[in-house]
Amino acid sequence: MTNTEILTALTELREPAVLATVVATKGSTPRKVGARMLVGERGVVHGTVGGGCGEGEVVEAALELLQGGRPRIVRVNLLDEPTSWSPAVCGGTMDVFIERAKW
Amino acid sequence: MNPTPSQVAALVLEATGRGESVHTAVVVDASDSSLVGRRWWVSGDRQGGTLGSAALDRVVARGLAGLFAGRGPTAALSRNFVYEEKGGEATAAVYVEAHHPAPALVIVGAGHIAAPLSRIGAMLGLRVVVLDDREEYATEGRFPDAADVRVIDFRDPFAETPLARQDRVVLVTRGHRFDYECLVKVLRMPEVPCYIGMIGSRRRVRATHEKLLADGLGTSALRRVRAPIGLDLGGQSPTEIALAIAAEIVMLGAGGTGTPLAEKERIVERFFAD
Repeated sequence: MTNTEILTALTELREPAVLATVVATKGSTPRKVGARMLVGERGVVHGTVGGGCGEGEVVEAALELLQGGRPRIVRVNLLDEPTSWSPAVCGGTMDVFIERAKW
Repeated sequence: MNPTPSQVAALVLEATGRGESVHTAVVVDASDSSLVGRRWWVSGDRQGGTLGSAALDRVVARGLAGLFAGRGPTAALSRNFVYEEKGGEATAAVYVEAHHPAPALVIVGAGHIAAPLSRIGAMLGLRVVVLDDREEYATEGRFPDAADVRVIDFRDPFAETPLARQDRVVLVTRGHRFDYECLVKVLRMPEVPCYIGMIGSRRRVRATHEKLLADGLGTSALRRVRAPIGLDLGGQSPTEIALAIAAEIVMLGAGGTGTPLAEKERIVERFFAD
């Protein structure tokens, strides 16, 4: 089960990483509450919070947090991407909580 | 020290592996911003960490039962909680997760079907337990994916394996007499597992049902037994039979019918007829 996989990945971390968790959604979103992703210094290490649909913003915020900063919610707006070629057509907003996973 | 997500993950894996549930909570937004990222967990009478306010911990702890009533094995949500702080009211958005132990797949009989079934069961996320009275078969080496492999006595096979409603039991012992003895014990448990499958030919299964009735069990108990076990896939090898058993377990858990989707939908007949 994916839940066990992300928990195992969290316990086996060998580098500083940020845990991103979808904590609230509104409208149509690619992932639901509870979806998780681990971001290390070189990008996504494990999991996804929705691929192209807004994930870039979360990764950027996570990399920033790795440099220092407090845990916070990143609100991802999936409404304003009219030119997106992404096959995943979304249309909602997603609150993603980011925090340091270990260090 | 605020427990880290990594520490809490280790704790969740350890507790659920032992068959215990864990609730975890983290503040994601709050009127007092110093609380954001504070974490608390509870498992039975153990708990650790704090959401940064004893009052908030209490409010969340009280809310847990209501929040997760009727939910699946793992669930997550966030809610705003109002708590007392310094004589006034404060609010915090808290993200809460419920982690429950995976349902068990108890395979009784550590023979040739049990080996592939143990692997498939583990892949499906079930906590596989293998029981047999033969020491040379019930070994961890033969069942690397099983959470537990036990040498048991068929007079009391489930002595150390408590079964719950969400668990699945597969009876594939070396002898039909042992299958029957285990079956009667499972059917008489206070909490009967949602899946009970028993291997056997039509003749054997019929004899089993006659004996169950003679032993005082009703037809409702008989209907709980999936026997002969598995979906009709036509396979003959132990792995193919294990797959047919696993398919039936998935089908009943997910509410499927076992019908091939192509036959159910009949796309060609419906849309491409001459």
